[in-house]
Amino acid sequence: MSIDVSGVTKKFGDFVALDDVSVSLPTGQLTALLGPSGGGKSTLLRIIAGLDRADTGTVSIEGTDATRLPAQKRNVGFVFQHYAVFKHMTVAKNVAFGLEIRKRPKAEIEHRVDELLKLVHLSQFSHRLPSQLSGGQRQRMALARALAVEPKVLLLDEPFGALDAKVRKELRDWLRRLHDEVHVTTVFVTHDQEEALEVADEIVVINEGRVEQIGSPDQLYDEPANDFVMGFLGEVTQLGDIRLRPHDIEVSATPGSAGALSGRITRLLRVGFEVRLTVSTAGGEVTVVLTRTHARQLGLVEGSHVWLTAASGATTVPAMVAV
Amino acid sequence: MTSALIGASAAAGPASPEGRRPRRVRRTTPHNTLTRGAGLGLGVAMIWFSLLVLIPLTAVIAAAGQGGWSGYFDVLRNDQTWAAVTLTVSQALVVTLVNIVIGSIIAWVLVRDDFWGKRLLDVIIDVPFALPTIVAGLVLLSLYGPNSPLGLHWAFTPNAVTLALAFVTLPFIVRTVQPVLEELEADVEEAAASLGASRATIVRRIILPSLAPAIAAGAALSFARAISEYGSLVLLSGNRPFQTEVVSVRVLTFIENGNNQSAAALASIMLAVALVVIVALDVVQRRVARRG
Repeated sequence: MSIDVSGVTKKFGDFVALDDVSVSLPTGQLTALLGPSGGGKSTLLRIIAGLDRADTGTVSIEGTDATRLPAQKRNVGFVFQHYAVFKHMTVAKNVAFGLEIRKRPKAEIEHRVDELLKLVHLSQFSHRLPSQLSGGQRQRMALARALAVEPKVLLLDEPFGALDAKVRKELRDWLRRLHDEVHVTTVFVTHDQEEALEVADEIVVINEGRVEQIGSPDQLYDEPANDFVMGFLGEVTQLGDIRLRPHDIEVSATPGSAGALSGRITRLLRVGFEVRLTVSTAGGEVTVVLTRTHARQLGLVEGSHVWLTAASGATTVPAMVAV
Repeated sequence: MTSALIGASAAAGPASPEGRRPRRVRRTTPHNTLTRGAGLGLGVAMIWFSLLVLIPLTAVIAAAGQGGWSGYFDVLRNDQTWAAVTLTVSQALVVTLVNIVIGSIIAWVLVRDDFWGKRLLDVIIDVPFALPTIVAGLVLLSLYGPNSPLGLHWAFTPNAVTLALAFVTLPFIVRTVQPVLEELEADVEEAAASLGASRATIVRRIILPSLAPAIAAGAALSFARAISEYGSLVLLSGNRPFQTEVVSVRVLTFIENGNNQSAAALASIMLAVALVVIVALDVVQRRVARRG
């Protein structure tokens, strides 16, 4: 295991940011810490990096106990949400910073900086100042800077949070490819479940200072440990006494199968290829998603009477009382 | 006033991208691009500036120039005047250097640390600037004068000049550095730390270059104020020729004796000194800001 966190608790005044958290993150993988804002995931990342100190518990990195090591000695690369660029230095100087501090020979630094700038596709910008780069470019520069010192682990705190949707998606794919190239153990924090599902090998779901579930994206999506994980990873609706995803509900225009719940469509919304129905049943409102073609086949309009069943093989969890 | 100065020097501070990239062709603007509003604003600014500063300044230089170069040399050849000039310039430089260190430390403490009475200290910093300067002299006289409770009888010695100048220029660097320090993002320092930089390296290579334009702006203000100080020195220094007499007192003496030309010559010399120091500060500031 590359990073071992055990029994970490962190309080800010009365607020419990982390409550007895233990996680082991395997070497060479890309792990996402996923959870809602204020859930403690950034705090955990900062404690791993040594930027914050845990009240209790231990952190070990690559087998060495790092609990009392200052950030300077941990040899971790850290990438911040708002880039944290050194504004007065050129792109090349920013990337060289960690190496210059380590007093490496000039030629070696130059060579390594060239290599890294090529890796992050910023070679032609090496003499620019960070203020002349776009947000996405700045973040790639920050990544190159963090990688320059050959860290044992790379930690990214909401790395794409400040970027617009399109750039975010590009960088996300790019990060995945970069990770496949350099293979450094990487942990990134995100509150975007799509980002986590798409990029990560493993996801740690953190909520209210506790770990809710650890697993691969498929495991989390198919076998959510609880209602929270299910709800956080995608849309959820309630059909009778179970909770399931809106696209896992089968709609029929006739009362065919046994146990079907009958209802009336109160709202029908077309968004691109999909159709969202709000069906009013005896057990409350149910949201259903189906394709446009399917809806047309069934001849659904607002006010139609429909019968709903859970699709076979659907991921379901029992509904909690008073949700 | 101070913030305007910071703004100006900060804008000029970082290396201009055009200057670095010779290949980029600068588009020239042959046409007047000012809108009517902007033209009006510029006009008002220029008239005001001319009436208050440019024309009177030119008049002084013209008055001083009437005697030709020899007028300047005659003034400087006077031993008493030369003593006043060296005393003023050297004390102003010393005080400015002290302010660069102490002012930055005070700004740091006010921004980064939490302690009881911080708000109060923050307000009191401006007192030396806000006090009428003659009162400032009185205040210092009570502690360092003939009846000094500390046993420091500095009144009427060159130390008194240092003391008075340090007192009145104290707020300048504090007030220019403080807002810049507040704007510095903590994550930049954390990034440097995670790259292995020690605290000292972070201060030297990350924080100082960011503060350099503000420190330079404050130092320029502090120096300019120091070489022109008059009020606080009157009580404290005693204006003793060759010992504690500063340039502004000397100028006054010239005028009182009806020697307006010498007064103007000495004034324009001090103007040149101030310009040289301010330009030098800007050069140093650019060096530091680009280092790192």
